[in-house]
Amino acid sequence: MKTTPLSRRTLLRGLGGVAVGLPLMEEMLPSSLYAAKAAPEIPTRAFNVFFGLGIPAPVQPDDFSDVLEPLAPLKDQLLILRQVNQIRCDRSGMNAHFDGASGAFTATPPDGEARAGGASLDQLVKRAHYPKGTPEGIVPTLVSGTFFRRSRVGRYVHSYNPDGTVAATIQERPRDLFERVFGRVELSGDGDEREERLKRSVLDSVMEQYHLYTGANSPLGSASKERFKDHLDRIREYEQRSFAVKVDDPRAPALPPPSRLKHGGAADPGGEGIDITLEELTEAWRIMADLYALSIQMDRTRFGSLTFLAAGERIRLKGDYHYNGRLIHRFDDASQLKASGSKGCSHEWWHKFNEEKTNEQLRAHAHMKMREVAYFLQRLHEGEDCREANGKSILENTMITISTESGDGRHNDVKRELSGVFHAITGANGRFKTGQVLDANTEGLDLYNTMLSGMGVKEKLGPQDRRHENLDSIMA
Amino acid sequence: MAGMKQNIPEMPSTLSIGSVRNSGDASVIAVTKQGELINLYAMFRSAIIGLTLACSLGSAQADDSLVTLLTDHWKGGDHSVLEGGVGEFRFEGGNGAVYDGGDKVGEAIRDTEAFTVAFRFLTEDLEQKGPARIFSISKDTSHRNLTIGQEGERIEIRLRTTKTGRNGLPGFSSGAFLKKGQWTHLVLTRREGGKMVLFVDGKKETEKTVPGSLRDWDPRYSLILGDEASGGRPWKGSLRDLVVFPRAISDPEAMDLFRGRGISPGKETPLTSVSANNPNAVLFETRVATILTQHCLECHDSATAEGDLDLSRSLTSHTEDGVLVAGDPSASLLWESIEHDDMPHKRAPLSVAEKETLRQWIEGGAAWTIDFIDPALYSRPVAEIPSRVRRLTVTEYINTVRDVFGVDVAGEAKTILPAEVRADGFSNTAYNLNVDLKHVEGFAELAGIAVNKLDVGAFAKRFSNKRDHTDKTMISLIEAMTPAILRGPPVEEETALYRGISTAVASAGGDFDEAVGFVIEAMLQSPRFLYRLEKPVHGDRARRVSDFELASRLSYTIWGSAPDRELLKLADEGGLDREGELERQVARMLKDPEAVSQSLEFCSEWLNLDRLSFLQPNREHFPDWDPALAAHMKEETLRFFEAAVWEEERPLGELLNARFSFLNRDLATHYGIEAEIGEGELVKVELADVPGRGGLLTQGSLLTIGGDEASMVSRGLFVLNDLLRGVIKDPPPCVDTTPVPGSANQTRRDIAMERVANRSCGGCHAKFEPLAYGLEKFDGLGSYMSRDEHGNVLREDGEVLFPGEAAPVAFDSIEGLMDLLAESDRVKETITWKIVQFALGRPLNASDAAAVAQIHEEATQQGGRYRDVMAALATSRLILYAAPAPANDN
Repeated sequence: MKTTPLSRRTLLRGLGGVAVGLPLMEEMLPSSLYAAKAAPEIPTRAFNVFFGLGIPAPVQPDDFSDVLEPLAPLKDQLLILRQVNQIRCDRSGMNAHFDGASGAFTATPPDGEARAGGASLDQLVKRAHYPKGTPEGIVPTLVSGTFFRRSRVGRYVHSYNPDGTVAATIQERPRDLFERVFGRVELSGDGDEREERLKRSVLDSVMEQYHLYTGANSPLGSASKERFKDHLDRIREYEQRSFAVKVDDPRAPALPPPSRLKHGGAADPGGEGIDITLEELTEAWRIMADLYALSIQMDRTRFGSLTFLAAGERIRLKGDYHYNGRLIHRFDDASQLKASGSKGCSHEWWHKFNEEKTNEQLRAHAHMKMREVAYFLQRLHEGEDCREANGKSILENTMITISTESGDGRHNDVKRELSGVFHAITGANGRFKTGQVLDANTEGLDLYNTMLSGMGVKEKLGPQDRRHENLDSIMA
Repeated sequence: MAGMKQNIPEMPSTLSIGSVRNSGDASVIAVTKQGELINLYAMFRSAIIGLTLACSLGSAQADDSLVTLLTDHWKGGDHSVLEGGVGEFRFEGGNGAVYDGGDKVGEAIRDTEAFTVAFRFLTEDLEQKGPARIFSISKDTSHRNLTIGQEGERIEIRLRTTKTGRNGLPGFSSGAFLKKGQWTHLVLTRREGGKMVLFVDGKKETEKTVPGSLRDWDPRYSLILGDEASGGRPWKGSLRDLVVFPRAISDPEAMDLFRGRGISPGKETPLTSVSANNPNAVLFETRVATILTQHCLECHDSATAEGDLDLSRSLTSHTEDGVLVAGDPSASLLWESIEHDDMPHKRAPLSVAEKETLRQWIEGGAAWTIDFIDPALYSRPVAEIPSRVRRLTVTEYINTVRDVFGVDVAGEAKTILPAEVRADGFSNTAYNLNVDLKHVEGFAELAGIAVNKLDVGAFAKRFSNKRDHTDKTMISLIEAMTPAILRGPPVEEETALYRGISTAVASAGGDFDEAVGFVIEAMLQSPRFLYRLEKPVHGDRARRVSDFELASRLSYTIWGSAPDRELLKLADEGGLDREGELERQVARMLKDPEAVSQSLEFCSEWLNLDRLSFLQPNREHFPDWDPALAAHMKEETLRFFEAAVWEEERPLGELLNARFSFLNRDLATHYGIEAEIGEGELVKVELADVPGRGGLLTQGSLLTIGGDEASMVSRGLFVLNDLLRGVIKDPPPCVDTTPVPGSANQTRRDIAMERVANRSCGGCHAKFEPLAYGLEKFDGLGSYMSRDEHGNVLREDGEVLFPGEAAPVAFDSIEGLMDLLAESDRVKETITWKIVQFALGRPLNASDAAAVAQIHEEATQQGGRYRDVMAALATSRLILYAAPAPANDN
């Protein structure tokens, strides 16, 4: 498993030996191009970090132990909030995984199956601090993640505009994320960039289809197969000509290697779940986390969200899970559940959650998720690249909200399911308390609105006529 | 009986599609002593693709050997052969019978995604459960592809698909119909797409859709009767008349199987004339005839017969002293002269392999099985052209987009896509429909254009009333749109890819219409849209095409476009197999205006009318030429064709001598025809009283083939190649092919006659130049004259030498020539050939000969009109069956 995090430097050396790094030449550039980087003050930043399936409230410890053990090294940078409820996010007739996920960072029920009920935290902070838009050279909102299930957008996108529409297209492959941050698509026609990117996803699917007919399992005879190979070659050529990515930031790292996982519609066809090893999962996620962290370090982005596994994610995980030299668990969901297909996925541990039992597998999964969330947070905290003008780390200077979809995995009681939804926040440059686990006993809406007001945002989430309960306990 | 296999003649696997009495997947019928017709193991021909088995049928027509063959391929079990000679398995609760070759069955079914299993069975115990395995393709109690078992009074079916998992669960059950001790006939059929039907005694008993694909079928599993492969699920009862097809069958076919009639869709002609039973004859038909054509017939055919030797006919080659001595190459003059390269004279010698083939053939008896070697059939090796996937031509693309979406992209497509290039006389020849970067760019751009022009919301509404981004809605919409756009059932992986696009749009904040628009854009670039994809053919037996494949074949053949909703609906329901339905559909399709436009497309391609767009006569020779005339000439021919074929419904031969045409004043003046015609529009003009005019060859569109000099060579070659399907080799290198102009005392015919008389040119030129003599009175642009520009008097008499014939036939006027051609069987056959070639998108060869001959005969009986040819073609094996790929193409 990859254990060395990707720093800007290691990326520059070339990821996986695939690409040759570019020389660091920012000092040779006119400073105006990267004015944001040159500015001495600490920029306002806000990010949402989502992980799928959650930690049932009874499993959440009151300190940095047990499933929260991996967060312990960052304990002084985090405030853990227990007993936050999101019951108002329930929408009858909608799957609770989806309601809860849509409510994360918005505290509002979804508006239909492709829209959130309102803005997400990061977007309101962005609007308040950058009313005229983020400075040039910065990706306004960066949405990314490692996930497979995709039936509804709210399961994996966690940045929303005030009207509930997604704030930015999600980048789910390392190369997509790379291109979004460091490249620009050469427009082949008059279309806008969004259109071009969608056209490219169309072309990706077309290529995949030709792969189906030229691969080892192709049903075609050799002559026809050759013709399809020709066709595929021409498509590749077309792609290179029409969608060539121009990297215009000389500080950019090398292009990451192509993803080894499936993406788009092929990632989890039919939502029946996928087989994946712990190594494959963490490798894919860590490349994304590294790239995302790098883009924050290089001040190419200040707002957005990152997803580690979608809401209701269905994976059949395999592999030995070690933490600090200790074997935590041997993942083997399908065998342990004695089932195949969707019934053999880790998701089922949440459905089977039972307070009276040890819930060993669920805890192991939750522990692993915390380790991976911590991995990303550490990328913003450790090393010189993360140190800012005030002597604090990026992690400490930024508002990061970590949350999930549910406080219980059992679908039979919505109230219980949407109560005690795990939250953790960072200090946002001294605005919020850190270093403890707090029983908040509050609604997500009040928590979020308190955070917004702490960030100097006047706007409020949720119904505007509702009486807001400020949560003084989180304020520094 | 171990000896059985050894009796099977060894043959190359590509050839065995031949003369088996019941080719294709019709049944092998045996008659029992009780006089009952038993459909016995048609699986040997259709499902079990094993070459040995397939080949063995040819020689296994004696009644008892079938049964021997039957038991020969089963191992274990308590099965027995009944005294009546019928293979019957009796299971008494012990171990089952395993079929030797189950892997081939599994592979074939996995690839076609469809199957039919039929058998007669009798249960001895109504309490049996488990289910007790009657028929199973499985490994053990938890790994299976398919199981048909007994669960009390019901039949239980378990089928492995990508949705049901490796044990085929959940399965489904029939009603409680089983009766102890009673023979019952059972048919289980599955259509591509998942619809399954269980027939009991020929009647539909249960219908169930089992979703998912069969691609996870494990071909290593055993085909076993009477128990699970690993034991433990024994069945007590008897079973016979087992048939397995790698395709779905229709309701009437299920009834036929019940009645023991066997199923025989289509006609019983063999796909090829290849004589599979005699290896020496096979060698002759597949290789020797080709070698003789390529190297010898140029000089030694009936017409030239240099040295009085005609090698195109058995009569002369075998009876001439010592030319061919069967069994003795060294005594054969033919062998002697090629062995030392004395022959061919002035052409390249035969290769070592070719010589060896001829030697083997003579040594093996020099079998000669055909009337004469028609170079049109044998000029290319039988298995030379692998079956290639057909890309839609630009025209087909335009038609398809128009018919599927109601959107016209003709203007853009003609500009953006590269024009098709002619090969083998047509521009839709599959091997030449390659793909260039321009195509890929063009398809991407056109997909965007089409979607922009489309009311996506309204289009989607045809398939779904829901408009949201959920998996459920989007996946069902994609699955419903797939047959309409991609002309076949949805495929899971592809659906997932399309669904991926819609989620990408949704996560970029796009709405429903935008998501569906991008999905359609991707579908428009799918290989299944841009190509006419068909499932492969396994082994060496032709496969009946699936319903969707048939719908596409029909629609592209008759309309040059995608199947319409009615055809797709029938394909989805399996309705095209219904009695008379195919004929009804063909008749319906021929009434559609698209059938007319497709026939005009054929006409234009056959006669290469696009050539007229580039006509640039020499200004000095033709100072009065008006470029608009070229367009008028093209229109004249198309209008003439449409009127003759569709309005007057004439037999196709009359295209050569129908005495009318379509002219306007300019064209009439150019032709020298005096008639009261207005300017502009072309109008129908009777030509009965106009000397020399009447029929395609007298129209400017074809007369201009000779160029400014009215080349006898070019005109003659057109008649030879495109009307008489003659074959002529290219001139030897370093021959000056510049047309020789006439002079003051020499007409073009005089010059041609000199060439024909010349020893080194005449051998070939005699076969085609005289064909143009009758056109001498038409100048290079089609004007009629009685003297050439030098004042020489022109003639119109001449002789026609029909290919294969030794002696020419004389005519004394242009009208005489046209009547001769119009009445010629060779010409009529050739038109049928051209239509078939255009429909199949590939040149025809010897393996097509029998089928085309049957189409022609059937069409001729019906009146010999275009519609008759189309109707015969549409119901012929060439359309109903997919031919196996050559052995080297798998």
